[in-house]
Amino acid sequence: MGRQQADGRAARCSRIAWKGVLGGVLATAVLAASAATAYALLGREAPDFALHAVSGNNVRLSEHRGDVVVLSFWGSRCGQCRMQLAALDRSFKTYHSAGLQVFGVNVDDDQSGALEFARTQALGFPLLLDPQKAVARAYEVDNLPMTVLIDRGGAVRQVHRDFSSRFEAAYLQQLRVLLNE
Amino acid sequence: MLHVAHSRRFLAPQAAAPRLAAIALGFVFLAPPLSAWAQSAAVAPATPPAAASAAPGASAPSAPKTQAPSPAAPAAAASAPAASGGASAGATDTRGLDQDIQGLKKDVVDLNRDLFVLEEELLFPANTQVAVFISMDVGDFFLLDTVTLKIDQKEVANYLYTPREVEALAKGGVQRLYLGNLKAGQHELVAFFSGQGPHERDYRRGATLKFEKGIGAKYLELKINDRQRRQQPEFEIKDWE
Repeated sequence: MGRQQADGRAARCSRIAWKGVLGGVLATAVLAASAATAYALLGREAPDFALHAVSGNNVRLSEHRGDVVVLSFWGSRCGQCRMQLAALDRSFKTYHSAGLQVFGVNVDDDQSGALEFARTQALGFPLLLDPQKAVARAYEVDNLPMTVLIDRGGAVRQVHRDFSSRFEAAYLQQLRVLLNE
Repeated sequence: MLHVAHSRRFLAPQAAAPRLAAIALGFVFLAPPLSAWAQSAAVAPATPPAAASAAPGASAPSAPKTQAPSPAAPAAAASAPAASGGASAGATDTRGLDQDIQGLKKDVVDLNRDLFVLEEELLFPANTQVAVFISMDVGDFFLLDTVTLKIDQKEVANYLYTPREVEALAKGGVQRLYLGNLKAGQHELVAFFSGQGPHERDYRRGATLKFEKGIGAKYLELKINDRQRRQQPEFEIKDWE
């Protein structure tokens, strides 16, 4: 009787473990698929741009050569974008001293949402405005949020077309690799 | 970089086979000259820098120059003691290789410059060329943010300035804002400057110039000056004859 119970517990444990492994594999596959979808800029030099910031100075990408740059394209009506910006803010506060720059590029036609968001959230990194979507077109933004990771040499290294809190660790891992180069 | 590594890793065997064959063939053909070169480089002394830079205009890479052994080289090599021969030959070889690399780098830079000049000459011939520059003097009363340039009511340039770029202009830098082509005749240039004026107020001003484009390149300069008496910035367009 006791042995049967032990066997049942072991089987349940093994099922849970398998589910965990499958979940992990699935998350990695989804992450890889989102990055691996044909993106013409991957491995190429990131297109330069200059944009107005919600508050503070204008930003030109080429002035940040030598830093690892994360561009996060977002819209004020996108809930996942807000989650991602909050996650990026945590990463920015941790790794800014190691050479990490994060720019949130807002692609709303109406800037009032972005201004309101900037006022309420008080993020540590600059939020840039791209109402004409020239930068979004240059980076072939087809989904929000979309995140582009640029290495210290100015080349596009990773792209993510989605965000979930489950992927945060994987994002951080990729960031650490770029920061260590 | 990652992308390249990824694609190489998953190279199909069918696609890899001809490439490997080509590399092997290349190795077979290149091996004898390379070994001969290595022997000659080990024997010959390094070419002095003066000799290497004797013909700066020459388009041929300097590598063959250093490969050719000088007449005095065999005698010098024969008189050298056998014990120190290996070490000195190795050092000479490294130095020669380093000079070859430097020579090749210089050739690449020269070639790049020539191509750039050629490209500009082809795209913007002197008889139609128009260039617009921008400069700033002092800039205490105006913090530049953007400049929009219109020629004949068509927007040709719109530039957003960062604080570092404004600082560079304030230090005396001159930026080429636009380079294009215009046919001969009367044209109108309008420049809009926006930024922060006195007392940190938003400031937007324009400047207009009607100019005659003749045969030959035309150079125009947008100048931002401080007018001390009025405590205001001043914008003007100067036509460089």
